[in-house]
Amino acid sequence: MNSSMLDSRRIQEAYAHVQQHLKQTPRVALILGTGLGQFADRIENPVAISYADIPHFPHSSAPDHKGQLVSGTIKGVPLIAMQGRFHLYEGHPINDAVLPVHVMRKLGADILIISNASGGVNTNLSGGDILVMNNHINLTFRVNPQLAALTQTRNNIKSPIYDPQLIEAAMETGRREGFYLQQGCYVALTGPNYETRSEYRMVRKIGGDVVGMSTVPEVLVAHALGMRVLALSAVTNVAKPDALVETTAEGVIDIAQLAEPKLNAIVMTIVDNINRE
Amino acid sequence: MLDLFDKIAEAAQAIRDQWNKTPHVGIILGTGLGSLVEEIEVEATLDYADIPHFPQSTAVSHAGRLICGTLDGLPVMAMEGRMHMYEGYPLKLITLPVRVMQAMGAELLVVSNACGGMNPTYRCGDIMIIEDQLNLMGDNPLIGVNDDRLGPRFPDMCEPYELALVDRALSVARNADIVAHRGVFVAVAGPNLETRAEYRFLRTIGADVVGMSTVPEVLVAVHCGMRCVGFSVITDMCLADALKPANVEEIIAVANEAEPRLTTLVKGVLALEQA
Repeated sequence: MNSSMLDSRRIQEAYAHVQQHLKQTPRVALILGTGLGQFADRIENPVAISYADIPHFPHSSAPDHKGQLVSGTIKGVPLIAMQGRFHLYEGHPINDAVLPVHVMRKLGADILIISNASGGVNTNLSGGDILVMNNHINLTFRVNPQLAALTQTRNNIKSPIYDPQLIEAAMETGRREGFYLQQGCYVALTGPNYETRSEYRMVRKIGGDVVGMSTVPEVLVAHALGMRVLALSAVTNVAKPDALVETTAEGVIDIAQLAEPKLNAIVMTIVDNINRE
Repeated sequence: MLDLFDKIAEAAQAIRDQWNKTPHVGIILGTGLGSLVEEIEVEATLDYADIPHFPQSTAVSHAGRLICGTLDGLPVMAMEGRMHMYEGYPLKLITLPVRVMQAMGAELLVVSNACGGMNPTYRCGDIMIIEDQLNLMGDNPLIGVNDDRLGPRFPDMCEPYELALVDRALSVARNADIVAHRGVFVAVAGPNLETRAEYRFLRTIGADVVGMSTVPEVLVAVHCGMRCVGFSVITDMCLADALKPANVEEIIAVANEAEPRLTTLVKGVLALEQA
């Protein structure tokens, strides 16, 4: 049996388990990153499914990552949220890290809203800001072997990875609600160490606005599966390599939480747009 | 990574059975530091084969040995026989001896390497004190479930090489009339040397020199709370617009010629350490 057959069986078995717990077909999938997991509390009529109970799901070992799927509705729109994700630095093979995206797609979600906590290198940004990703640079050095097969069987891959309409919905939310949003480029590294001063300088020089350790593997799969993707990066600190101060995981989580109300407002806009369709 | 803790303890115990001092310094004898061994008052020598979980000599191209003793009165442990990622070793195995040195009590790591110089103000044979590093190896020894007993999940890297030690090394160099630079080291996996385009790329992203080692060991040393000082011997100049084929004999000759100067620098830096 080749590995892609193995993967499709794993996806099917995980899907079957989650599906039997759901009350409705999710329209929107959410991946809640560091400091943003509390957004799941806003989901109405929630049903929580622990990763530990889902066949083939890895265990989340990252700090502040709860490790469960929460399904329910917001303003009547059915959605499913991952409270805690799988990072490459935890040692998960890339196929495991993206397995939940396959499952949420199979459950019916056609929009993915994915969030993360990142370090800013663009000095226009401040801690607590949200960067709306319109691009990324993949420096994870990890190859997803499934991606080529997915790409060959889909004909919609000429669309931009980051959906322009969803980006505009996000930007419009910031204007309406009165908070600063900026579009930009996320550089994905594997980690787990925070970057050296030289690495921050490199990220800035090659065109990155923020740097983080997640999101790109999931986004690539979601796009290949035909999902519309909105990626929101909560900027936890702005690295100033010429006067660098120590970064701690606790500080990152605290400041990421400042971005949660903004994430909420953006999701509400998208939910409202769906209700108007 | 959770099995590392016990492996480290077992390896440290095997070393303590032969040598019961607490080292202050762990030294990785890279290119240019081979003759430092002659300065060590050796009290115990262990083959890697006799230390549990150390990379075994059958797999190491040149037999690995751990040398324990004192250097100008300072208790030190020195690794002779270094492994590289391009030889196919996993980074966790390559870096295990660093964790063992720390577990034995070493608080300072000294590393050296041979590198290609990309900063055009450098000259072949110069020594660079490593001020910062870039990891472009495509791998990281800290990947995996973190064992909080060994260090934090996300080690901070704002000062992987202690800047006070960089200053100290530069001061020693000035006093000894040795040319020394302060610069940024980028590590790539190798084993091929870089193309001209890659040299331009690495220079553009901020590196002064390029090599295929050191970064994994320093990541692990910072993870487990050690201070680090690193020395690069520029064994050939890699200027993209005037690139010549690398000559291994010349590189080795340059490295050998640099050994006495590097030894002077390391001894000078360690002379100010309080055990």
